[in-house]
Amino acid sequence: MFPPKKPSTMNSHDRAMCVQGDSGLVLTTDPKPRLRWTVELHERFVDAVAQLGGPDKATPKTIMRVMGVKGLTLYHLKSHLQKFRLGKQPHKDFNEHSIKDGMRASALELQRNIGSSSAMIGRNMNEMQMEVQRRLHEQLEVQKNLQLRIEAQGKYMQSILEKAYHTLAGENMNMKGMGGGQGTPDMGVMKEFGSLNYPSFQDLNLYGGDQLEGFMTSNNNESMFEGKKRLCPYSGSGKSPLIWSDDLRLQDLGTASSCISPQEDPFKGDHKVQISPPSMDSDPMSEIYDTKPVVLHGETVGNHHNKFDASMKLERPSPQTSPLQPERSSPMINAGSVAQGTIISPFGS
Amino acid sequence: MEVHMDMDIDIDFIHNLHFSPDTTNTTPSSDDDYGCNWNHWSPLVNWDAFTGPHDDFHHLIDSIVCDAAAPEYPSPDDHGASNSPSASITEEDDAEEETAAADDSKGLRLVHLLMAAAEALTGATKSRDLARVILVRLKELVSHAAHGSNMDRLAAYFTDALQGLLEGAGGAHSNGKHQYYMTCGSHHPRDDHHHQNDTLAAFQLLQDMSPYVKFGHFTANQAILEAVAHERRVHIVDYDIMEGVQWASLMQALASNKTGPPGPHLRITALSRTGAGRRSIATVQETGRRLTAFAASLGQPFSFHQCRLDPDETFKTSSLKLVRGEALIFNCMLNLPHLSYRAPDSVASFLSGAKELKPRLVTLVEEEVGSSVGGFVGRFMDSLHHYSAVFDSLEAGFPMQGRARALVERVFFGPKIVGSLARIYRTGEELEERGSWGEWLGAAGFRGVPMSFANHCQAKLLLGLFNDGYRVEELGTNKLVLDWKSRRLLSASLWTSSSSDTH
Repeated sequence: MFPPKKPSTMNSHDRAMCVQGDSGLVLTTDPKPRLRWTVELHERFVDAVAQLGGPDKATPKTIMRVMGVKGLTLYHLKSHLQKFRLGKQPHKDFNEHSIKDGMRASALELQRNIGSSSAMIGRNMNEMQMEVQRRLHEQLEVQKNLQLRIEAQGKYMQSILEKAYHTLAGENMNMKGMGGGQGTPDMGVMKEFGSLNYPSFQDLNLYGGDQLEGFMTSNNNESMFEGKKRLCPYSGSGKSPLIWSDDLRLQDLGTASSCISPQEDPFKGDHKVQISPPSMDSDPMSEIYDTKPVVLHGETVGNHHNKFDASMKLERPSPQTSPLQPERSSPMINAGSVAQGTIISPFGS
Repeated sequence: MEVHMDMDIDIDFIHNLHFSPDTTNTTPSSDDDYGCNWNHWSPLVNWDAFTGPHDDFHHLIDSIVCDAAAPEYPSPDDHGASNSPSASITEEDDAEEETAAADDSKGLRLVHLLMAAAEALTGATKSRDLARVILVRLKELVSHAAHGSNMDRLAAYFTDALQGLLEGAGGAHSNGKHQYYMTCGSHHPRDDHHHQNDTLAAFQLLQDMSPYVKFGHFTANQAILEAVAHERRVHIVDYDIMEGVQWASLMQALASNKTGPPGPHLRITALSRTGAGRRSIATVQETGRRLTAFAASLGQPFSFHQCRLDPDETFKTSSLKLVRGEALIFNCMLNLPHLSYRAPDSVASFLSGAKELKPRLVTLVEEEVGSSVGGFVGRFMDSLHHYSAVFDSLEAGFPMQGRARALVERVFFGPKIVGSLARIYRTGEELEERGSWGEWLGAAGFRGVPMSFANHCQAKLLLGLFNDGYRVEELGTNKLVLDWKSRRLLSASLWTSSSSDTH
């Protein structure tokens, strides 16, 4: 996860020449100038994060503001924050448990210790490193598998909901004349909806709501269903809304390298969760599953991993913006027949 | 606002509250409502109508009543902010603090009332009349509404439960959950379908908003995968398959090994219950079809069987079809939010069957209950703590999604609360403190199977996806516990027959 070649983490291994810029930042002189996370800089970083309420609450933007270091960009902070978060999670155990369990701590912490302590040299260091590497590799495996498993479970849930929806659609057709509900759905529309394959990504973030009452919350529906009747259980992809935006790419995560967030990953603005003010929607499902007009397509693999690593909580508190809401439905209708698992961008590619 | 239910309120605490004795000597009014003119909030309580020399209790109730009796006509929303004029004057912060403090104090008041009601129903000062009075008061304060606070809704369900006990509805309802849900749920003519849809929607939400279901499923599955690593045939006997969601990810894991030898053939036998009418059998069949289709889509060799339980839900090993050379797994998911209550005898018969058949692995997921000393009231309070943690955990992850949470609470947790309190109440004094099923297995001669690093790691990663407040605890070598902020909620443990040979 943190191979030694990354200069920003392994102080003791770095052989590149370093220059100190005007701002006090230490940059290397490789063709690609990389920021060197010195101990002092990192301390400031940790302080800033702590001020902001912890690695899950802090964002690169706010950290940048708090740190007030010239020359420090969002890119630097973003990747450093990711690593910090990643390192922090297993690191919790390190503080709470015995030294033996400390072996499970992330490489960042452990390697830092190794690097800074001159006593840990020679054979012991190799052994520890190997152990750490082994654990990390295992952890990576677990992580990858977890993604796949959650996704599988989501697909399965989807099949349940689809079936239930179809049953209900049939039912409603039969009882169309019987009243008993707050409105009758447009049968033609329901039929059309029923035949669509559900895109697999749309529900992955928590979105602002729509006016739709009832549990039909695929974005295909929003403009279609005026009625307030509770028609059908949630019929979007069964995937957890909490995690990733992309099935397929997760399956491609075969190698360790792809699991490491690339350093230069642009922090794509606001792919955060947006929440609807409670008054907006009258439906529990739409609170969670309505689509949101943010481009998920085109983000890199590493980015997904970032989301996976970080608690969803991170990205949650963000004001609801839905400027593109009206546009959403048409691309979705067209894209509706896309096979499951394909990435679909609501705004075209 | 977060009402911390970590305080250990005991009965003595209540009785030690010293309130200045108000003039409780009221004029006895009409007898039909025992002098409780609750609607007008005047403390015209004819205390003589209640037996009991416990003045502290009376003082408590009075203080609660007087406390709440606002100068103006009180609104159902009994927030302190509305009563105190100062809230509107000061800055927003102050007002917010006041409201938060008022919320907290309201929460505390609700807890006191609930406890008092529980006491009144079963305690030394047993008085159904008093209980009735308290419940009336509670019902005015609480609400199931989505826009309310967690405490309001939590208290609403507990109030419902107590009301049910008072009315003697705490009878032997194996389907109490369903009944309760229906009475406080839909009003539509097509109740059945809406009920089903609600349940499905809520189930989806539950899985997405909380790690409870996944924790149980994934921990068990990981252990199963490890236990059958080189087997050619795997047979899982599932105690309560429901929709079969657990097996989707297992199948994916089994089928995904592209390199190396092909994965094993998977066979699942699901227990179905005849007692619940035909629905259970139909559901299981449907689940079987679905799982078969899913396995096919993955290219996973699979077959599905049903095993009918006796009408009394006892499991008999003879009804199981076994194949030589298969690795046998017993999977026992209990108490997950979406699962129905299963009688202890039934569970015991299943686990006894496991003892007899010596499976490779027994995976057990069950609720962690706190220590249940103190009779009904003690267990009542423990239950209150438990569900308070659950509600809080949902809110912490999804503070703005009140409606979604309210739905999940209504469909799953409300009925669970009602059902479990009814059972606790019903069994009364005879209920010896039953330990966990893990303890049962230990006592029955099973030995624990160590939880692997990968499994523990998976659990931590999973929880990390949801919220900081969730923790994984390792209890012993074979058990992982899912905690919400120091409150243990759910545990997953692994067992094997001590005399079985390990491959």
